[in-house]
Amino acid sequence: MKKSLLILVGLSMFLAATVMAVNPRDMQFEPLRFDLPEPVRFETDNGISVYFLEDHQLPVITLSVMFHGGSVYDPPEKSGLAELTATLLRSGGAGTRTPEEVDEELDYYSIDLSSNAGDEALVVNMNSLAKNDELAFEIMADMMRRPRFDSAKMALEISNLQDEIRRRNDEAGNVTRRVYYQTVYGGHPYGRYPTLASVAALSRADIVAMHEKYYNPDNCLMAVAGDLTPAELKDLIDRYLGGWSRAGRELPEVPRATRQYEPGVYYAEKDINQAHIRFGHLCMDIKNPDRYAMDIMNFALGGGGFISRIMGQVRTTHGLAYSVGTYVYRRPLMGTLFAYCQTRADAMGRAMEMMLDIIEEVKREGITTEEFELARESIINGFVFNYDTPGKIAGNFAYNEFHGFPPDQLKRDLEAYQAVTLDDCNRVAARYLDTEDIVIVVTGNKEMFDRPMADFGPVTAVSMEIE
Amino acid sequence: MKRGSIAAIVLSALLALLGGHLRAGEALQFPVEEFVLDNGMAFMVVERHTAPVFSGYISVGVGSAYEKTGNIGSAHLLEHMMFKGSREVGTSDYEAEKDLIVKEDSVWAKIDRAVRETRFIELNQPEKLEEHLNYIEKLRLILDSLTILSSQYVIQNEFDMIYTRNGAAQFNAFTGYDNTNYFVSLPANRLELWFAMESGRLKHPALREFFPERDVVSEERRLSVETSPEAKLFEQLIGTAFIAHPYQIFWEWQSEENNLTRDDLADFFETYYIPQRITVAVVGDVAVARVRELAEEYFGDMPSRPEPEPIYTREPEQPGERRVDVHYESNPVLSIAYHKTSFDDPGEPAFRIIEDLLGRGRTSRLYKALVLEKQLCLNVSVYTFPGSSLGDMHDGVLCIDAYPKEGVTTLEVEEAIYAELDRLAAEPVSQRELTKIKNNIDASFIWASYSNIGLAGYLARAQNLARDWRYLSTMRDNLLAVTAEDIRQTAAEYFTENNRTVATLIPKRKGEEK
Repeated sequence: MKKSLLILVGLSMFLAATVMAVNPRDMQFEPLRFDLPEPVRFETDNGISVYFLEDHQLPVITLSVMFHGGSVYDPPEKSGLAELTATLLRSGGAGTRTPEEVDEELDYYSIDLSSNAGDEALVVNMNSLAKNDELAFEIMADMMRRPRFDSAKMALEISNLQDEIRRRNDEAGNVTRRVYYQTVYGGHPYGRYPTLASVAALSRADIVAMHEKYYNPDNCLMAVAGDLTPAELKDLIDRYLGGWSRAGRELPEVPRATRQYEPGVYYAEKDINQAHIRFGHLCMDIKNPDRYAMDIMNFALGGGGFISRIMGQVRTTHGLAYSVGTYVYRRPLMGTLFAYCQTRADAMGRAMEMMLDIIEEVKREGITTEEFELARESIINGFVFNYDTPGKIAGNFAYNEFHGFPPDQLKRDLEAYQAVTLDDCNRVAARYLDTEDIVIVVTGNKEMFDRPMADFGPVTAVSMEIE
Repeated sequence: MKRGSIAAIVLSALLALLGGHLRAGEALQFPVEEFVLDNGMAFMVVERHTAPVFSGYISVGVGSAYEKTGNIGSAHLLEHMMFKGSREVGTSDYEAEKDLIVKEDSVWAKIDRAVRETRFIELNQPEKLEEHLNYIEKLRLILDSLTILSSQYVIQNEFDMIYTRNGAAQFNAFTGYDNTNYFVSLPANRLELWFAMESGRLKHPALREFFPERDVVSEERRLSVETSPEAKLFEQLIGTAFIAHPYQIFWEWQSEENNLTRDDLADFFETYYIPQRITVAVVGDVAVARVRELAEEYFGDMPSRPEPEPIYTREPEQPGERRVDVHYESNPVLSIAYHKTSFDDPGEPAFRIIEDLLGRGRTSRLYKALVLEKQLCLNVSVYTFPGSSLGDMHDGVLCIDAYPKEGVTTLEVEEAIYAELDRLAAEPVSQRELTKIKNNIDASFIWASYSNIGLAGYLARAQNLARDWRYLSTMRDNLLAVTAEDIRQTAAEYFTENNRTVATLIPKRKGEEK
């Protein structure tokens, strides 16, 4: 079952001729050769694609089911529908069991079963001891196929969602993140958050319809790893998920996100002694062919932690932040690139300008050969950590198929990183980096800032009222 | 490079659910090899060849509980400074750099002294104040230029650079109260690199780029405490619950941290970073014999030094309930603490079970009562503090955090919590409920071995805490032996009004002075 894939990592021979007192910076290592265990893939009669990696080191199973669907498909006036449905799937009872009975059984046998809604995926995760796999499959199957969506539970979950909404301005970090996405994505579903009203508008009929539409065997992928044989897994799937009928996959059209925002500073007032900064713009989707060059360039710019230029300047040299950097968040319908930093309120302008200058410099002049080599080598040498647990391996394969990548995408990714050149990096820096047409979010108390925010663009005060 | 924040505390509560209860040879299916160097440094090795990677975990038996007035913040800042490298890594010319560092420190000492004198000059010789302040400003400029001079020898972040270039993952450290931990995962053929890097900084760290790093730690405090309602509340809860024991300081105070010196850190390092207090675990695709060989080669010459004084302070018995309010721009939060046991107290196992009974999962007592049945809270969590998943060196506290729903007062929530605690003290738990908790302990013990870094962390920290990693197995046995009556008695003894501290976060509206 194991296909062997030779992965060569690293460059040269170990030169420890002098044996003692080699400075770690001069140590060099043989290429790391390893066989990548590949999960088996099979498809059930009713259309579930399964990736399975057998692993008997520990008597446990990890499992993940991903359905196409998610919050981007919520009707705007019913924002929160996917989230509520996913929550109630787990908490609203299943099959013959009441909500309380489901909880009791799962807790008693230490089965961790959860259900969540992402933007484009509805995910069910299950972790269990192998000895309890029958019960785990039974309840999980009931939950996905025969959820009860108990009405009293529904009322409670709606009210809890509303309480979460009421608490969404409590932490500055959450405010900054939310205001950034709301602004940079404009009216696109990626920038939409449930409101008290949109959640109140949800009915049980909406939830039942949402479940019928998305939670179907031919609309999902399953990743399983752990202590069972392929035959045992097939048998479990057959018995618990066998009679589950196909319903086709029909996803509503959601447009790609396009730039709708007015560039400028969006200020969220919060009485704290730090300024939380996040700024950026739309950037690239998950399939953009420039993504490998972008990752390497960004690693050197601000994504690679301490070795990155932004962290080196803002944190190490000037001591202005604990957490600072840039991040390329790629999403199917258009991603974003942003810089972030939290600094003392009276250094807001200083830190912001420092970050903008570095980004501008890299856009204009690119990264250096040394930075490029270091970033490229780091990403390639760290690639092995995509494969360090059986669950991660199966999950990565399933993730790639879910998003329509070919089966050998992981190998292609590695080869693509190896093929990136400095010119590629500098071309993407020039093309994608931007310091002009951007959304800047600042959360904090402007009375304490060292510079007026208007220095960085027209300022819009963001309403902190809960809606 | 973080310190036990609320997030870390919640995380360790989660880890307590996931693990911390492993046992040699039984559910832990990987044999542990161990050896101790002549200088007292203990190593544990687990060979596991799943993937060509390994994790190295170093636990040093000192944390922020060992700080005293005058060096508060040392443990955490030192942990940050350990990333600055060593005599070999991070510098192009250590000798030249060292001379400038000595000069920097002597200028800082002058600044420090002058700043301290300012208030008395203001009081007794106000006419000289301006001159004095100019003098301080001049010293600061000199310090800045020395820093620029020394920076020409610094290879910035080289320690990180070497690891990163070699494909490191999970490279970090954290400062606890009883210990400080350094860890990283690397491709398997970088084992020697790890020994060279770690022994370099543990034998002779270079405390370069000190002043900006002190500011970084201040930003970390602002980020983790000042801008987090839970942490602001927690800081007051702990400060109120403890009046004597050093666990009372949740996070170093800004005023003390701003005055730490390189000498403070050097002293702290000399005193506590000694081989007898350092425990090391290596888990992954390695050979035990090779680990041992490299351990001898790289750490064998680290001299043992005298054992420092332990912490003698015991928290006196609390003579009555304590209450504290925090006004903050946030929705209400309630936090309650009860003094509890240390890791080796006979009462500890019952406490660990109580923690799970009250707060673990949807069928836990407080979740059921407060969230599901009475619907008073959006959420409730139960954790211990300091909250190592293995237990703490000294008596800690058990904490309950509750987030009231809209329109519910914290007093109503308090009453509901006390009703549940009283019930625990009055009625023995059912056999099924107890078995449920024990099933989860069994399972968590297995999950604890799931990742290399997780297993390495448990081994290194157990060895550091109990001086024998087999404590993991003792702990599991003790937990599984707890009876319903043990639980009832512990609840009755500890969940009393006198033994509790209650902290309430009261919403501060915009523009309100309070």
